[in-house]
Amino acid sequence: MQQHSLRHAPSSPDPVGAEQPIVVVVDDDLTVREGLSELILSVGLNVVAFASTQDLLASGAMDRPGCLILDVRMPGASGLDLQHRLAATGDAKPIIFLSGHGDIPMTVQAMKAGAVDFLTKPVRDQALLDAIATALDRDRSQRATAEVARHNADRLKLLTPREHQVLAEVARGRLNKQIAYDFGISEVTVKLHRSKAMRKMQLATVGALIRAWETLPAHVRLPPSR
Amino acid sequence: MAMLSEVTGTMSDEPTRAAMMVEAVVGNAWATDAAGRFVYITPGMLAPLGIVREDLNGSDDPAFGWKPLVHPNDYEAAAASWRQSLRDERAYDATHRLRAADDTFRWGRCSGRPVRDSENRIVGWYGAVLDWEAIRERDRELSQLVDMVPSHVWRLTPDGEPTFFNRRMADYLGLESTDTALGGLAELIESVHPDEVCMFRETLGRSLASGEPFSLRYRLRRADGAYRWMSSRAEPLRDHADCILQWYGVCHDIDDQVLTEEALRRSKHQLEQMIDALPINILSFDPARKLTYASKRYLSTAGMPGEHIQDFEGLAREVSHPDDFPTMFNRASAGFANSEPFVNRFRRRCMDGVYRWIEARAQALRNANGEIVQWYIVSIDIEEEMQAQEALRERERFVWQLVETLPAMVDCASPDGEPVYRSQQLREFLGYELEGLLDTNGSRLMQTLDAGVHPDDLAAVKKDYAQCLRTGEPYARRHRLRRHDCEYRWVETRAAPMRSADGAIVQWNVICLDIDAEVRAQEDLHLAQERLARASQAASLAELSASIAHEVNQPLAAVVWNSHACQRWLAASPPNLDRVHVTVERIIRDANAAAEVVSRIRALFKQTVAPHHRAAIADLISDVGRLLGDRTSRMRVEIETDVAADLPAVPFDFVQIQQVLVNLMRNAIEAMEGHAPKPRLGVRAVCDGEVLRVEVSDNGPGVLYPEKIFDAFFTTKQSGMGMGLAICRSIIESHGGRLWAERNRAGGATFAFTLPTHAPEPA
Amino acid sequence: MTPEAAIVLIVDDDPRVREALSELLEAHGIRVATYASAGEYARAAKPDAPACLLLDVELPDINGLDLQTQLVGAHHPPIVFITGHGDIPSSVRAIKHGAIDFLTKPFGDEVLLAAIHAAFSQDTRLRADRADLERLMARYETLTPRERAVLPLVVSGLLNKQAAAELELSEVTLQVHRRNVLRKMGAASLADLVRIAERLKIPVTHARHGAREA
Repeated sequence: MQQHSLRHAPSSPDPVGAEQPIVVVVDDDLTVREGLSELILSVGLNVVAFASTQDLLASGAMDRPGCLILDVRMPGASGLDLQHRLAATGDAKPIIFLSGHGDIPMTVQAMKAGAVDFLTKPVRDQALLDAIATALDRDRSQRATAEVARHNADRLKLLTPREHQVLAEVARGRLNKQIAYDFGISEVTVKLHRSKAMRKMQLATVGALIRAWETLPAHVRLPPSR
Repeated sequence: MAMLSEVTGTMSDEPTRAAMMVEAVVGNAWATDAAGRFVYITPGMLAPLGIVREDLNGSDDPAFGWKPLVHPNDYEAAAASWRQSLRDERAYDATHRLRAADDTFRWGRCSGRPVRDSENRIVGWYGAVLDWEAIRERDRELSQLVDMVPSHVWRLTPDGEPTFFNRRMADYLGLESTDTALGGLAELIESVHPDEVCMFRETLGRSLASGEPFSLRYRLRRADGAYRWMSSRAEPLRDHADCILQWYGVCHDIDDQVLTEEALRRSKHQLEQMIDALPINILSFDPARKLTYASKRYLSTAGMPGEHIQDFEGLAREVSHPDDFPTMFNRASAGFANSEPFVNRFRRRCMDGVYRWIEARAQALRNANGEIVQWYIVSIDIEEEMQAQEALRERERFVWQLVETLPAMVDCASPDGEPVYRSQQLREFLGYELEGLLDTNGSRLMQTLDAGVHPDDLAAVKKDYAQCLRTGEPYARRHRLRRHDCEYRWVETRAAPMRSADGAIVQWNVICLDIDAEVRAQEDLHLAQERLARASQAASLAELSASIAHEVNQPLAAVVWNSHACQRWLAASPPNLDRVHVTVERIIRDANAAAEVVSRIRALFKQTVAPHHRAAIADLISDVGRLLGDRTSRMRVEIETDVAADLPAVPFDFVQIQQVLVNLMRNAIEAMEGHAPKPRLGVRAVCDGEVLRVEVSDNGPGVLYPEKIFDAFFTTKQSGMGMGLAICRSIIESHGGRLWAERNRAGGATFAFTLPTHAPEPA
Repeated sequence: MTPEAAIVLIVDDDPRVREALSELLEAHGIRVATYASAGEYARAAKPDAPACLLLDVELPDINGLDLQTQLVGAHHPPIVFITGHGDIPSSVRAIKHGAIDFLTKPFGDEVLLAAIHAAFSQDTRLRADRADLERLMARYETLTPRERAVLPLVVSGLLNKQAAAELELSEVTLQVHRRNVLRKMGAASLADLVRIAERLKIPVTHARHGAREA
């Protein structure tokens, strides 16, 4: 039994939560599921395996941190379909494709759609483990970023509509007096809204505001219409 | 004597009276007057001669009346002596011959003594006539006695001067006569050996002085210069006043004796030395077991026995190791009691207190009557020997343990192969003891083989083993052996004969190594290698096809693009006919280029087939059979080969046809796996006219699509690209042959290919 | 600004391929330039226009994928790989390193043109971004050293007073500098300046005392 290792060993626990990442395997071949599970467990990672995408979606595994290892060709929904679907719902869980079949156009499509890697069976254990390490890294940083965004979005919800509007304008780069003119309010009021908004957002500087603003998805940034 | 006094009383003259007294005592006497005239003479003397006294007085010589009686030759001397005596008034002693009765003469000793009166005037003479002959006879006898005595006799004066040596002594000393006046004591002393001369002088001197008997041994020089040992004793002759008159001595030649004594002494010394030098201790005991002798060596080894130790028991108790004493004493006692020799081995304490092993042998010495006079006990130190024995025993134990604990199964058999000893490992492996094999069930060897060797290997094992037992050749074989848990394990058995000094086999030594793991590992390796080979085959095939694809794709791609371009030029308004021309030309050109690539590849493929050598298909078939041997034996596939004897050597590429055959046979084996209870693989080669036909048949499930299976990428197998048969067909076809499959009537499939017996025309 | 006409740069050692592709693209009205090797491409002057690099994998002097790796960091047009025999690992590598597409010959014109146009779009965007950045950098060059010192302090949110203290200036002087920076960098507001600083990757080294960044 070869000794395998992750490129980056899972050192610090997930900063977002105390949850350990799970590697999710979806393959209709039992021996593949068993073999992969064995390999992944051997390097100290959690793993869970499903025979189809339906089974996976029925479970709650998608909510946990981690990554996906998908076969491309499976009865029912294929791995590519799943990738498509996840992208549509904005789920950015990193995907590694592991397939016995594969043509180049499919591979290219999968990679362009954001897969971490596309590996062909038989796969070298170390290649797969490296891909998993990259995927978990990506998942970690994505989650961290998403967490920040969520945090910011949550605080944004605390703002009154006016505060939101004012802040949006500040983030756009408008000066206080310009905002006052646009909204037909006094500059003092603008400053008041601004400072309240900034406090609610726990932001101290314009720079911080800009950075926080950029984490927000577009639709969230949009203030409720006047 | 009464008569004498009567007679003498009547005589008037003294001489007569004296003579008659003498006569009475001695026998013959005479008397004369002062002038010498006979006054008396024993009548007996004269009567036989017919003479009377007066006749004597009337002789011519007035002074000597004997004249008629004396021998004429002696007369003068005698007469002179008588006249001398008369004149000197001294005693007269003469020895002369006297006439006897029968006119013979006899020596006689005539002695006369003067008779004196009160005024000391000689009044007459009286004398005696002694028969000197008798005396001389006696003298001679005595002399002879003295001379003949086998000893040296000597006589010394009280001063030590020798006055007589007997004949022997004189001869010994080389003296002319017994007249010892010459030289005297000094010369005698001079004859004594220088080493003894002082002692001689001293001892003799002491004796002479003290009168104590003289006794000494000394060497005396013989006339020829040799010294001989003498034992000399002398005693004094004393008179009535106890004064020493003479010393009489005997000097006995003891030289031989002395030499013998010395030889004996030397021999005794040598013997003693020998006894002392030999590394043995000797003790002797009398029949009552009292200690009589302990050799010097014994004393220096074991020490002087204590004062209190008298006998054997005491000594044994003293010096034997307490643990050994009972046994050795019992044995000794039995020996003594039965008068039988005995041997004991026990530890004896040495002088330094250390116990050492000794071996003691006791033997009795008997006299002429068979009675025991001494017990001799000889002992030798066997400590080293005992230690060596112990070491040997220890080594034996060690070797025994070694053999027992070797992680190998060891078996020792007698020259006929019957097992005699099995090591623990082997016993445990087999699960039964050697003793459990009863002789009634056949030889132990056969029982073991029958019970243990795998049925498939049994016949060959027995055959090989029998051969080796017969020829004495070492045996080496791999086979399966059943373990005690009924699992068959591959073992390697090696047997080698052990021979005596003259080359005869005394034992077979067998070692049995469990190589099951290795064999299985080898099998696994083999399988893995095969898999690898196939994979690499597939890989190279993939590479080959990739490079082929590339070669072809380029021109094809160009064709496609030119076609597209052409379409667009045509669809443009207005159509760009110049470009159309150009593109169409390119299409044609590039399509041809693609076709050329394909044919070039085909030619390339054909070229690799070109070097053909004539070879025997039979060799190839047996090669492949061997190659797949492990697999066929493992899967218990029965192989039947039917190769006709008269097959011609056919030109073919050995490696490629081997590949085909391996492929076909492997397929057959795999087809039968799990399908046929008794898998049978048949390989047949016959000459069929212009071609050689090889058939590989199996009794598997058979082929469903006898033609389709040769299509590339068609496979009914779980794994594999399905290229095998397609490639096989192209190989055969490039040789100018055919490859096809048939269904067997009895079930299974036969794959057959033909090879032309003559080289194919190059394509 | 009107971009120069987009151009496809074909790097392939097979003259038939170069010829046919050129024909095809020209038939679609697209500018083409061809090179027979990676070296030839490297030596050539790059046209100043949105471009697409049509790169063969099996080049005589270097593997196309390796060339892709080498070009990372340099400003190069988006790459569309074309190859006679492709394999999945190569295609994965190509896309991972940012290729637009990975096409195996023979491929049709539709798929080729789609890739080319995607490449053109990307390159146009990239070039615009680059131009912006260059402009900003040019503006940054016009800042005096003192202004360059003020910029990061202002952007990190320090109050004028704090910034002045930091630089040992009077608040008034600081305010002057601040105004100049904003003007020279073309920022209408502090928010604009923050964005500009981010684009220029000017490090935010100071935090307002007592403030905590979210």
